[in-house]
This record gives sequence, C-alpha cells and structure tokens, in this order.
Amino acid sequence: MRNPFSILKGWYNRRPAAVLAVSALTLVVFLWATPASWQAATLRLAVPIALAALGGIFAEKSGVINIGIEGLLIVSAFSAIVATFWLGGGESTFTISHHWWGLLAGVLVSTLFALLFAIVCIEFKADQIIAGLALWLIALGLAPFVSRLVFESPNTSDVGTFDNVTIPLLSEIPLFGHLLFDTPPQVYIMLGAFVFGWFVLNHTRFGRWVVASGENPKALDTAGVDVQRVRYTAVILSGVFAGLGGAGFALGYLGTFTGTGETVIDGRGFIAIATYLLANYHPVGALGGSLLFAGLDAMQTQLQGAGISVPTNLIQIIPHATVIVVIALVGRTRLPDAAGDHYESGED
Amino acid sequence: MKTRLKRLLRRLVHASVLERIAISVASLLAAIVVGGVLVFVSGAYASCQAGLNVAGFTFCYNPMQVFYELFFGAIGHPLEGDWALRNYNLAETLAQTTLLIFTGLSFAVAFRAGLFNIGTQGQLIMGSLATAVTVLYASVIVPSGFIGTVVLIPLGLLAGAVAGGLYGAIPGALKAYADANEVITTIMLNFVAGGVAATLLAWQFQDPESTNQQTESIPAYAEIPNVPFLGFSGRWNFSLLALAFAIVCMIGIAWMLSRTAFGYELRTSGVQPEAAAYSGVDEKRMIVGAMTLSGALGGIGGSLWVLMVQGEWITSVPDLGFDGIAVSILAGNSPLGIGASAFLFGLLDSGSQSISTATDVPPELVGILSGLIILFVAMPEFFRMIGGRYVDFEDVQPVQTDGGEPVEGGEDDA
Repeated sequence: MRNPFSILKGWYNRRPAAVLAVSALTLVVFLWATPASWQAATLRLAVPIALAALGGIFAEKSGVINIGIEGLLIVSAFSAIVATFWLGGGESTFTISHHWWGLLAGVLVSTLFALLFAIVCIEFKADQIIAGLALWLIALGLAPFVSRLVFESPNTSDVGTFDNVTIPLLSEIPLFGHLLFDTPPQVYIMLGAFVFGWFVLNHTRFGRWVVASGENPKALDTAGVDVQRVRYTAVILSGVFAGLGGAGFALGYLGTFTGTGETVIDGRGFIAIATYLLANYHPVGALGGSLLFAGLDAMQTQLQGAGISVPTNLIQIIPHATVIVVIALVGRTRLPDAAGDHYESGED
Repeated sequence: MKTRLKRLLRRLVHASVLERIAISVASLLAAIVVGGVLVFVSGAYASCQAGLNVAGFTFCYNPMQVFYELFFGAIGHPLEGDWALRNYNLAETLAQTTLLIFTGLSFAVAFRAGLFNIGTQGQLIMGSLATAVTVLYASVIVPSGFIGTVVLIPLGLLAGAVAGGLYGAIPGALKAYADANEVITTIMLNFVAGGVAATLLAWQFQDPESTNQQTESIPAYAEIPNVPFLGFSGRWNFSLLALAFAIVCMIGIAWMLSRTAFGYELRTSGVQPEAAAYSGVDEKRMIVGAMTLSGALGGIGGSLWVLMVQGEWITSVPDLGFDGIAVSILAGNSPLGIGASAFLFGLLDSGSQSISTATDVPPELVGILSGLIILFVAMPEFFRMIGGRYVDFEDVQPVQTDGGEPVEGGEDDA
C-alpha cells in the first residue's frame, strides 16, 4: 500500500504518543506562523469540500459511487440563496433568521436530488458513473435556468452571509480560539457533522451495515438486513451532508450564486471525491485533506490579494493540479468490493 | 393490428442494436416530456402579459411552442413560408453537428476501451489553442491563397490532434503507470487546461489590438473553404467539407474498432481486461493509446472550432467536450450512431438560440435536457419495466449501455 494515509496510520499504531506530539507541535507552529486571515479562509473554504467528501464516503462505502456530488453542491448552494432571497434577506420568520430557512431549503433540495439519484441507481440499475455525470450536468443547467427566471441573469442577487457565532471565553484562547469559537455557523456544522459521521460509521450498527453493504452485500442480505434500504439511507445521507456543505458555503461564505461556466462550485465536489479517495474513506483523513485543498484555494486568494505578480489563471489551477499529483502519488485506493455493482436480494 | 404492433415491438426489443435505438429514442422522448413539464411549471413563476390561467396561476410558457422553436427553429422553420434549404439556422446546426461528432467520438473511443474520458473539454481547449497558434505562426512563412489553404488547414488539424492527443495521454499514463482514477484526473485536467491556456495566451499569444482575451484572427485563406454553388454562405461559419471530413473520420473510427487488430484489442480490454491481457494485449499501452486517440479526436474538434467557426482562439471555449459525453452516451457509444446523435445535439444547440429569440424561456433549458437525456439512457431498466407491460420480455438478454453485447451471467455479478 502506497497510500500515505495508511503509512500515517502505521506510524500512529506503533508510536501514538510521538505522532500526536509531533502533530500538535506542527499545528502550533503553523497557527503561530501563518496569517490569521488565511487560516480563517481555509476553514470556511473547507466546508463544501469536507461535507461533500463525508457524504461521498457514506454513499461509496455502501456500494453506490456518487460522482454527482458536485451536482448536489450546486443545487443546494443555489436553492439556499434563492430561498433566502424569496423570504426577504436579513429578516426572520418564526423568529428564525432567513439564512437558516435558506440552509434548510438547500439541504431539502439536495436530499431530494440524492433520493432521485438513489432511485435511478438502485431501482433502475443505472450505471452509477453515467447517472452521476447526468446529475452534475442537470444541476449545471438547472441552476442558471431557474436563476434566469428569478433574477433575469444566471447569477443571483446578494443575500448576505451568516454572522459569526462567538462563544465567549473559549474564543479568547490564544492561537486557535478565534478560529474555532468565533466563526460562522457552517464551520460548527462541518465539525459536528464529522464527529457524527465518524461515530456512525465506526461505532453504530448502521455503520457496520453500510460497510457490509459495500463490501459483501450478500452476507448482509443473509444476515437479514435489507441491502437496498441501507444503500438508500446512505445515498440520502450523502445528499444531506452535501446539502449542508453547498448551502453552508453559499450562505456563510459567498452570499450569492454565480451560474456561469462551471458555476461558483467550480469542481469542489470533484475535489471532495479526490479527498476521500486519498484518505481511504476515513472521515478524519477526509477532513484533513479538505483543509489541505481549502488551504491551497485560500492561498491563491491571498497571493492575489497581496499583489504578487503570478498570473491569476495559473494560481487558480493550483488546487486542481495538486489533486492530480496527489491522486498519481496515492494511486489506487481500495474501493469497497461491491462499489458500482447492483444488488438484488433473492438471486441465486 | 394489435398483434402486429406487438410483434413489431417484440422484434424491436429483441434485437440488441434495435433495442439500443429504441432506448435512445425513448430516453429522448422522456427527457422532452420532463423538460416540457419543467418549462410549463416554471412558467408559473415568470411574469408575462398573457398566458394560460389555471387555478389562479398564470402559466407563461407553452412547452409546445418551446419545442417547436427548439426543433424547427434549428432548421429554419420549414413549415413557414420562404424556407430555403441553405438557411442560417441549419448551417448553425450542421456546424455544431460537425464539432460534436469529434467530441462524441472522443468519449466513445475511450469508453469502448473501458475508460471514462471526461476530459475531452480540456483536450479540445489545448487542441484549439495549438491550432490557432500554429496557423498564425506558419501563415507568416507559407504563401497566401490556394497553397496557403492546402498547407495551413492540414497543419492546423495536425497541431490540434497532437496537442489534444498529448493532453489525453497524460491521464492515460497516470492511469496505466500510477493507477490514478481517470474520471478524477480528466475532470481536474479540464480545469488545468482552462488555466494554462489562458496563461499562455496572456504570456505570448494575446492579440495586442484586441481588448478581448483572444489571439489574432487567422488569415481568411486558412479557414476551411466552402463548396462552391452547393455550400452554405461563408459568413455562416459552416463548411460542407468539414462535415464530410467528420463523417469520414466517423466511418474510419467505426472501421478501426470493428475491423482492425488495434480496434479488436481496444474493445476486448474494455469488455474483459483480464481476457485481453491473457491473449497478449499490453494493458498499459492500450490505456495510453486509447486515451491518446481519444484526446486527438477532441483536439481535432477544437481545430475545427478555430478553423471553421471562431477564426481565432478565445478564452471562452464553448462546452463542446461535455456535450460530447451526452452525444456518445445517447449513441450507445457506437461510432456510427454518433452521427445521428451529434445531429440531434446540434439541433438542440442551434434551437436554443431560436428559443432565446422567439420565446422568454431561458435557453439554459437545453443544458438540462442533455443531462436528462443522459440520465434516461443510463437506466434502460426503466424502459424495460414500462415496456414489459406490453411485451413479454422473458427471453430478452440484458444489454450493456456500450453497444448491446449481452452480459454474461445475468443482471449483475455481485
């Protein structure tokens, strides 16, 4: 295995204390030496990548390769902005701010699309890669289509972003307090979702079912668990997570949706797929990988802001080029055995 | 009558090639129905003076009118007066068809070798830039006029094929030698191509007299010539010669896949990589070879875009590469089917312009339609379930989406 994540795991298993100490020290030096604005931007930019990756892990672990996750990010980001706009900007309904209703709408729409994808793949046995591509292309056309109806332009109006949620005292902690405890809500959502996802996958019965459904569906079926239902749940969960990512990104970072070209999501869903492949489907590794790519993304904004005379277009490809290099170095990660296959109970 | 229809239907679904065509047509119809519903419903939100009033809502858009504009607008409204065969809209449709044949073939060649090349768009960007730059530099040396045409056009096509082929070889080599998933790398390389091409343009090739991000225009004699008397007007950026070239390439690829040793090896590695390796096919070289050929076809598509349509290279390259995926999938990845499928998508593209001039419906509808078509083609089971109500399917072999060969061992091998 050439996967760096498994090498890391090997080290950790042999010398946990040393690895933890070195990581903590690196983190402290890193936090101390780098500009705070860059760190904050990294955390916010990681939201769509990390949550989409978490969703992708659930779907693919259960045996459904969801390459349409980019499409889920697009529809959730767009519908979150439109819902917030329709409700009327910064006011509130039932004492809940409209940004939160927008987030809810984004997650609902994304979940609906994930359900559609699940039906197509599980019920009608569609090729998962082709159906995923279709999901992406439909989202790529649908968002600017609806945007033109509502805003008469492929780009939406600005609806503003979430305010930071500041936790008193904790945010005063030096080095990382301002990062973790004085930050917009989508960052808390991301961190919470990872704790939840990691716990569900590794410590619940449902988590074991998901893994079994991807590795050996026949065994799971023999054990009396409905494989189809596990896969449906996993794909729908991937829709929920991707929805939180897309909507959180739109409402917490962008405030608006750009529908031209590759849309404002700009391949982040695909970077998420690369991230979880790199992390070998481990949530913690996926979070780390997302922070890495988000850091590169934030760096190119920083470099541009600092007026460093590297061509903009060249800087913008840094995250994408890194994905290629990383994928080439990591090589093949072991896909779950039954990923991409259909399963029908009761056959032979 | 009914039994005859039934027999016809049965024949239709029993023959695998016919089944593919039936599924493609059904997918198209299903996508149109869903798209029509979408247009109708979205009309309730749009504002207009007159529309259909139902239950207090005003539905502004008429799906029938939209599809009339989409399909008949794309060939110049033949049902209305003074229609001429050689009209602007049809030229637009055929120009798109020509380009989409190449991007469709690009996806199909890789797919038949068992590879998903989502990177045709990037290969097309690289190929088109290479074409424009090569022709611009060579036109300084080459004499103008007829000799210039004869030298520059093949040179431009070659440059596009080489650049696209090399760019396609990168994910091929990464797949063969580093085991990197080609779906991810080709998608990433699309983004990289856009950035690199724009950087190269700004660095060296920008037209100093233009405020747009573009190269200088290629000389008129380097553009693909029109056929005298028969052809369309030169101002419409379409040449029958280019279409003929595309059709020849399409037949060539079909011949290569079905009749040559390389084509046979390519197909076997797509269907049964283990068997191919056992019979002596070098799997790694086959992957790189297929991706290079696929990239070269995408690159030629880019060349024709520069030499026939655009006349220079600009940073906003149209999404021909992504549409090529849809073209190929609708055609069941069969090279000959791609001709019909490319014409259909040519119609959609040109028709979207008629939609935006004749109706208030956003032309982005066409993007949704092509996504829906792919989605429906991806699930033949859906149509079998519907069709199964009318026809007895008991002895129908399951069919793969890649050309209708029966799959061994039933529905799946889980």
